[in-house]
Amino acid sequence: MQKQDIETQYIIEDSQDLEDGKRVDTMTINMGPQHPSTHGVLRLILTINGETVVKAVPDIGFLHTGIEKTAEAKTYNQALVLTDRMDYLSPLNSNLGYSLAVEKLLGIEDEITDKIKYVRVLLAELQRISSHLVWLGTHALDLGAMSVFLYCFREREMILDVFEEISGVRMMTSFICPGGLQADLTPAFDGKVRAFTSIFLDRLRDYHDLLTNNQIWMERTKGIGVLSAKDAIAYGASGPVLRGSNVVWDIRKVFPYSGYEKFEFDIPVGTNGDVYDRYLVRMLEMEESLKIVDQALEGMPEGAYRVSNPKVAPPPKWQITGSMEALIHHFKLYTEGYRPPKGEVFVRTEAPKGELGFYIVSDGTAKPYRMHVRAPSFANLEVLPLMIEGGFLADVVASIGSIDIVLGEVDR
Amino acid sequence: MAIKATATVAMVREKFPQAVVETVNFRGEETIVLLPEHLVTVCSYLLKTQQYTFLSSVTAVDWLESDPRYDVIYHLLSIPNQSELRLKVRVGKPGEEHPSVPTVSGVWPGANWYEREVYDLFGIIFSGHPDLRRILMPMDWTTHPLRKDYPLTGFDLPEPHWGGQVPYDTDPGVGSQTMRTPYSRELNERRSKVTENQEPGTERK
Repeated sequence: MQKQDIETQYIIEDSQDLEDGKRVDTMTINMGPQHPSTHGVLRLILTINGETVVKAVPDIGFLHTGIEKTAEAKTYNQALVLTDRMDYLSPLNSNLGYSLAVEKLLGIEDEITDKIKYVRVLLAELQRISSHLVWLGTHALDLGAMSVFLYCFREREMILDVFEEISGVRMMTSFICPGGLQADLTPAFDGKVRAFTSIFLDRLRDYHDLLTNNQIWMERTKGIGVLSAKDAIAYGASGPVLRGSNVVWDIRKVFPYSGYEKFEFDIPVGTNGDVYDRYLVRMLEMEESLKIVDQALEGMPEGAYRVSNPKVAPPPKWQITGSMEALIHHFKLYTEGYRPPKGEVFVRTEAPKGELGFYIVSDGTAKPYRMHVRAPSFANLEVLPLMIEGGFLADVVASIGSIDIVLGEVDR
Repeated sequence: MAIKATATVAMVREKFPQAVVETVNFRGEETIVLLPEHLVTVCSYLLKTQQYTFLSSVTAVDWLESDPRYDVIYHLLSIPNQSELRLKVRVGKPGEEHPSVPTVSGVWPGANWYEREVYDLFGIIFSGHPDLRRILMPMDWTTHPLRKDYPLTGFDLPEPHWGGQVPYDTDPGVGSQTMRTPYSRELNERRSKVTENQEPGTERK
């Protein structure tokens, strides 16, 4: 085995240089990987001088499951299931990104009906609200506000009930798939979504009452973890972290996908780039998502829930029992899958955490030659040291909460 | 005045004719294939004059049979111009264990972690990188799992590794390919040398 000449250990020093040439005694402590406020298995190696964080080194990889490697051994339909497991708080957004990438690779984007697009947008926005609710609950919990957590999970349960209604599964639905949707919407879907949308704006106002003007909340979040717009762009931060730093950038507006150009919504942007701004951006985003859900529900067109191309989507059951050709298509699709042409695509979507990109390389066989995921949390975590260095140790959890990481996506 | 990706490709072709290997347009996505030695120059040009301020990701593809073996891929985004571009660099002669690419972390600081990830999973070295350590795999890992010659189940598994009893002295993950810490290796060795008249789990005298 070849010995590597690259430093593989962290250098931990007992003292650090100060700017005026003096040295100061510091202490290096571990935060995580088993820490309730790191939102998963994130380890931070913090060098502290008294209460001040001098240096922060994030250590990730504890949840590395080799999703990119596994995808190379699956057919395109099977690899869909892996995308649920990356950002486990917003599986449908990952499904959407992956499906769009595969459809682009196959060149069947024109066959996607309006009905499919509307349902996808509706589900993706519901999922965005549910993801933001988990973020809000845990973020507030980190900073000592317990009751918000319980309220948020109450509302999230209503969204998960909607997913259970249409797919039978609460979280890892894989409902959005290349070629359309797994099933048609059920008759009760409409009512369940309306039951949620009719109350949610009031509930959102309750959260604002609990936190937005709360003196303790403002003191814990205002002016904490400041990230400048320049740094945010240079380090590739995206989503609410980028928008919180006063950069107007939303993939849904800039490169509209899945029919987002038909919906009216605004992009909330912060001014200072601190924890409070990122908090407000997400709170306002939930309102905008609710608007999109309402529009999608009102304008839902009639149509098929998957493309009629038998090479990509299975034919309906009644055809399989009657037609030999349909049976062969069904059999070939589930045993062998489909073979996109040689080529590579990179599709960006706006997931709740930020810019989610799927880079898929096809070599003309039924399995992706390479699937790379541009995970938003990975890049957002990279800017964490910029936020917390120079701040207090107690504010580290505020910054971690405000970037809303999911380690399943960071480590993949 | 927004500059679109196609215009950028033409400009790069004109300005750096010696650097561009080829340009590809597939499904409306522009790709510029560059020579590795000109990568940093072209990247600084794209950042400064074409305003490609945002680096979405750095990744690699292992084309096991071909020469050069690896593609290193950069996905760029221009926030002012609202356009996207892909750069590609081909490296890795046959038999070269750790091919080298100049780092772009001086151009986009965010490339730091992406390049660490590519180094970790593909074993491509980014020369000039400030902190090239493994990022996803454990620090004492010695192989690069996303290479195509890396088996999906890891290296050197004990024969009936499903169902059957895995012996104490084999490392269930990757076999002898991985050097674990000296302590755990010693522990494994000690456990496999339990004598007949010794209680299980007790220290040997």
